[in-house]
Amino acid sequence: MAFLEAIDKNLISIPMTARNGKEAVDELVSLYASYCGLSEKEKDDIISLVMDREHLGSTAMENGIAIPHAKIEGLKKPAVVIGVSRLPIDFGGEKPSSIFFLVLAPADNPAEHIQILSSIAKIVSSQLFVRMLSSSKTKEDVYQLFFD
Amino acid sequence: MINTLYRNILVYLDGSEGSMTAAMYAILLASASKASLHAVYVVNTKALGDLVRSRIFVDQEKAEFLSDLKKDAGRHIRHTERLAASKDVAITTASLEGSPHKEIVSYIKENDIDLLVLGSVNAIRSRRDELTSENDRMLRTSPCPVLVVRDSDDSIWQQFEEV
Repeated sequence: MAFLEAIDKNLISIPMTARNGKEAVDELVSLYASYCGLSEKEKDDIISLVMDREHLGSTAMENGIAIPHAKIEGLKKPAVVIGVSRLPIDFGGEKPSSIFFLVLAPADNPAEHIQILSSIAKIVSSQLFVRMLSSSKTKEDVYQLFFD
Repeated sequence: MINTLYRNILVYLDGSEGSMTAAMYAILLASASKASLHAVYVVNTKALGDLVRSRIFVDQEKAEFLSDLKKDAGRHIRHTERLAASKDVAITTASLEGSPHKEIVSYIKENDIDLLVLGSVNAIRSRRDELTSENDRMLRTSPCPVLVVRDSDDSIWQQFEEV
């Protein structure tokens, strides 16, 4: 399963410290960049791609979940960075978001990109799952929710 | 014996390395059993529609991904056709659109397929039904026998080169 394989305990931010949408993307991409040893320019390029996509239309859903994403040229494998914020963040949707799934996927594998986004959309359609995710306190709590 | 078992073999292509390995194995199997070989890629328009409805995709993005997926389908189908030709195996290919497991089940019924060949089926890492992959769904819903191809040591790639 592409989605589960992309989840990494080191790519979970809880609690997030961002106060707005731009900071939220910055925080999640920075975590990914730091973990993968990317340069400042590579990090900024990814932030730009994600923000460009958000400007087309917010990925914030009604249930407090946002799924910012971008396809990245040259990326070898997809990554999912999960962020949980104690304070809901205005991400451009009708309701503020407190749970973020940043999806970065290789540009040359659209099927995998779709599969990951689709899996996230399905799993967050469960109100119980979203409640459990919202009440998670540690990275371990979040990680275990997906692998119970 | 095997000739009577398989007359129409179908391999499902999803753009993964695992499905290309499955295609190689299906080609070798079709050659050995004198069966007809089919290869089908399904552009997952069901997922695209769902992503727009849930506001994860905007319409412009949906169109872009649809185009990317169709190109991906064409690329993998052409590659599979070349692989089959290299072993003198005739192949019928198709690029369909919809929900992959439903399209594959329909194709099996409409074309009298008697063996479905799949690439990797994931290890069970979560019991959540929402995370069941399309390959898993095909495995569970196929009306005909299913062969899952595993190639952890690249032996099928080697075998394909050597035959």
